[in-house]
Amino acid sequence: MNSRKRFGGLLRWLEPHVALLIMVGTGLCGLRALGAPLAVCATVGMVADLARGVGGQEVVVEGLMGPGVDPHLYKATSSDLIRLQRAEVILYGGLHLEGKMQETFQRLSRSGRRVRAVTDGLPPERLIRVGQDGIVDPHVWFDVELWSRCTEVVAEEFAAARPDSAVGFRQRAATVKQELKDLHQWVLTRVATVPKPRRILVTSHDAFGYFGKAYGFQVVALQGISTVTEAGLADMTQLTDFIRSKGVPAVFVESSVSHASLERIRQDAGVKLGGELFSDAMGTPGQRHGGYDLGTYQGMIRQNVDRIVEGLK
Amino acid sequence: MTLIPEFQAHRVFVEPWTTELGSHGLMALVTFLVGATCGLIGNFLILRRMALLGDAISHSVLPGIALAFLITGSRGIGAMVLGAMVAAWLTHGLIELISRHSRLKQDAAIGIAFSTLFAIGVVLIAVFADKVDLDQDCVLNGELPMIPLEPPVRIGGWVLGPPPLLRLAVVLMVSLVLLVTFYKELLITSFDPGLAACLGIRVGVIHHGLMLWLSMVVVASFEAVGAILVIALLILPGATASLLTDRMIPRLAWTTVHAALSAISGMHLSVALDCSPAGATVVAGAGWFCVVWLFSPTEGLILRGWRYRMGSVDSRLRSPELSQHSETP
Repeated sequence: MNSRKRFGGLLRWLEPHVALLIMVGTGLCGLRALGAPLAVCATVGMVADLARGVGGQEVVVEGLMGPGVDPHLYKATSSDLIRLQRAEVILYGGLHLEGKMQETFQRLSRSGRRVRAVTDGLPPERLIRVGQDGIVDPHVWFDVELWSRCTEVVAEEFAAARPDSAVGFRQRAATVKQELKDLHQWVLTRVATVPKPRRILVTSHDAFGYFGKAYGFQVVALQGISTVTEAGLADMTQLTDFIRSKGVPAVFVESSVSHASLERIRQDAGVKLGGELFSDAMGTPGQRHGGYDLGTYQGMIRQNVDRIVEGLK
Repeated sequence: MTLIPEFQAHRVFVEPWTTELGSHGLMALVTFLVGATCGLIGNFLILRRMALLGDAISHSVLPGIALAFLITGSRGIGAMVLGAMVAAWLTHGLIELISRHSRLKQDAAIGIAFSTLFAIGVVLIAVFADKVDLDQDCVLNGELPMIPLEPPVRIGGWVLGPPPLLRLAVVLMVSLVLLVTFYKELLITSFDPGLAACLGIRVGVIHHGLMLWLSMVVVASFEAVGAILVIALLILPGATASLLTDRMIPRLAWTTVHAALSAISGMHLSVALDCSPAGATVVAGAGWFCVVWLFSPTEGLILRGWRYRMGSVDSRLRSPELSQHSETP
């Protein structure tokens, strides 16, 4: 009896003390040297890339999820926690891309910290809703034009954190937006070389909805968005038949999803593998392929589009 | 790039208690709360040979989540937790049903119940919610490193700490109250259901109550810190304590000690290796188990070997089965 009472008492004694120390700790973290670059923490690579573009030299961006990490399967480490606590601005993808982390971010944002989903300002009618419940597909970055609009939210957030540099942030945001619009045009011209009936994109999981909508592809995925359900046998047969009947020349695997099932279908249908596409994560920074830096958003999109166009042409 | 960061003693051992107390220190406290709560219940699960129930529940909550989503149409945490608790409770009901009305033992019944429920969940999602990102990891299971990030609750001028910490503290308090109130009943029904029935204790009610309590604790802990930590902390502290003593109250005390040691050493390990704190804590907890397994003054491997070599009869008599029966409530 005694031992239990003692532990209960100890805990009750500990709580206010720990709380006080937490308060002091976070207070100390709040004292920052003025004039230092804005500390930004971004969840996925695509968001980090956007933040670097808009922030330029005036921000230091740290990404949480590295190359090849599936955001659905990401596990935070103890240093990630410190990065998130120290960051003056936290940027995330939103639309439930980060799963349950998003709820923490939303609460943080309500408590007054600068935490923002880059997809916040997107026009709702442009978002793809799945099912009748209106759940939104989070893979917005594959519609380059739509993604270019996210620059405004980023600039807004940076400007609020560093009002002195607001002009610079807005200018760079406009530059990045223009670059992305050019990229959008480039994708359109590249895609135009694929004959209309051949614009069918067969992939492992449902990440290319926005790509299909923006660039006129019919997108067929073996798996749904959730990765817990595996493809059923009927799905596989159906997809094989579909590929044969439509004469789809190639199918595509993804860098962050297992290749096995789609590889099987590819063999059954007797078509070629169009190569690996980036879906939920970008490549390693500095990893160059065909003249593109695969660790950047632009490099990722160009590589994907090249592979898709080469595969289906 | 190196996989394992360079070892810096100051960063690993001092900073978590000074500058990073609000992040790393807090993480250790949360882990301790989960470890103490789960460990206390875990002791009774181990005695009832249901130690794997936590693992089973981590899978079988899926249909609960899926149904909660289909009914409410949202992935809000309230609905998810409620669905998960119902599913956890259902898992236990199914296990009871199978083990009572067939010749199958508990372990087989656990295996059947949780895999069936998990499969039902997979089917439900595939049929009704294929386009929605829905699984335990993205809608129910929390992450330990996210807790210190949560905006703290303030009452008056006092900062009480992040809400999950307070919830877990409440869960621990309620568990302690339940444990103190029903200690005798829990103990007798765990060791000797027959005797308990003779003494007029309603064995079934106590068992169902324990399982309801377990369902709530486990799901609340999943929501706060994720599945793997909870599954491990249901078993490791109790198992370690059982190698140290045969009596129940010291065993519960050792359980708490193990939970605290695992929480603190796991936190340091995760800072040193910069890895998932949940994973590091489980590894640390298993490490402490191994230490006790080797060096325990009553059951330790080394002691047993030494006794055996000395030709003492005692070491062969003190097999786990015998020692369990010799225990008196």
